[in-house]
Amino acid sequence: MSPTDSLRPMVYAALFVALICVGAFIAIPIGPVPIVLQNMFVLLAGLILGPTWGTACVAVYLLIGLAGLPVFAGGTSGIGKIFGPTGGYLLGYLPAVLVTGAVSKFLGKTLFRDILAMIAGSIMLYGVGVPWLKLAFSLSWGQALALGLVPFLLGDAVKIAGAVIMARKIRPLLKE
Amino acid sequence: MADLTLFSFQAGTTVLHDLDIRVKTVLVCMLSMVLFTAGFSACLACFLVVYPFTCAMGMTLSRLIARLKGFILLLIFMAAARAVTVPGEPILSVSGIEITRQGLAQGTLVGVRFFLVMMIGMLFAATTRPAALKSAAQWFLKPVPFVPEKRVALMISLCLKFFPLILSRAGQTADAVNARCGSVRKNPVRQIRFLTFPLLKKTVISADHLCLAMDARCYTEHRTDPAFEHNGRERLFLGAGTGLCAAMAVLSLDAFWMIFW
Repeated sequence: MSPTDSLRPMVYAALFVALICVGAFIAIPIGPVPIVLQNMFVLLAGLILGPTWGTACVAVYLLIGLAGLPVFAGGTSGIGKIFGPTGGYLLGYLPAVLVTGAVSKFLGKTLFRDILAMIAGSIMLYGVGVPWLKLAFSLSWGQALALGLVPFLLGDAVKIAGAVIMARKIRPLLKE
Repeated sequence: MADLTLFSFQAGTTVLHDLDIRVKTVLVCMLSMVLFTAGFSACLACFLVVYPFTCAMGMTLSRLIARLKGFILLLIFMAAARAVTVPGEPILSVSGIEITRQGLAQGTLVGVRFFLVMMIGMLFAATTRPAALKSAAQWFLKPVPFVPEKRVALMISLCLKFFPLILSRAGQTADAVNARCGSVRKNPVRQIRFLTFPLLKKTVISADHLCLAMDARCYTEHRTDPAFEHNGRERLFLGAGTGLCAAMAVLSLDAFWMIFW
């Protein structure tokens, strides 16, 4: 293994951290939780980088935001954001990217399996984000699902479609 | 997007430029935590303390608003969404949609908190060199077991370099697409496709070139530990920052205001 081969995954992971940051700036507010492109890049990181580097990439992204750089949705940052109502979605990125990467790695990289991996990742994301939102606002399960899940389903379907197409375009460019 | 400058470091000689990055990081973390539960009075106290520092950077309120206009629009939408979704005493009803007093107050407060967090984040980014942030990350993560702090620090540093690169490449790609009359294309999916794929391709190729350049310069993780700059006012800032956070926490307590009622 040449030094470049060991550097490459780290540089790609850093590139995805930057892409997640850019995605966070493109936010559409529709309620307490905005629609953002960052989760598309998070799941894409899982597909492209795999579970280990994907998780490292998201962990670094969260660390940058915690340190104070305005990289969370809509240019916000800080520990307060993690403890806020949308903190569950941010923390949910870690299991989401891990599951997306793991499913993609173990099942293979066909179109259908990529979609399956991203759906599994999205389930993990909402599995952490929605209960967190419910606790933060003291909502009922129905209200939490109505505010934190239902408005995003259509957008997520579009994001998954976009991310799968992107993954299939990017993979041939990446050197193993 | 290429005009976004939230991340850009601005050279200067203000006291924040010389302040130890570790103190700055701790202060930003403390302020963002306190702002999470801050009321209007605590937000005002925070603004009055932070604003002179932004002015010293040449960012007056009008310039700050102009610079953050996209994000401020987002905050206004967010506040408006709260104003119509939070139940309470209605103050205005349009086509069956009720704007409540409680919703408006809550939405405005959340907007003000986010604006302050953005302001502090921008001030932090504008007065901190990416290399200093890398050093701070390495220093803070050193005691954490099983975390390769040097690798994480390098990833942070690379990300901060990639961020403006992506934005500038996005601008170049958009110009190239427009030069080929891409802007007259009506299908939005095709518009996005012809912007996104070349952009991703270019950035991935840039990442590959970076790998080769780092390899050519014999890059290793085993580098000399960073040295931190001090201006001798670190204790003063840490004390004043802690005092401000404590004051904001007290101002945010309902019990505090009950004394005066």
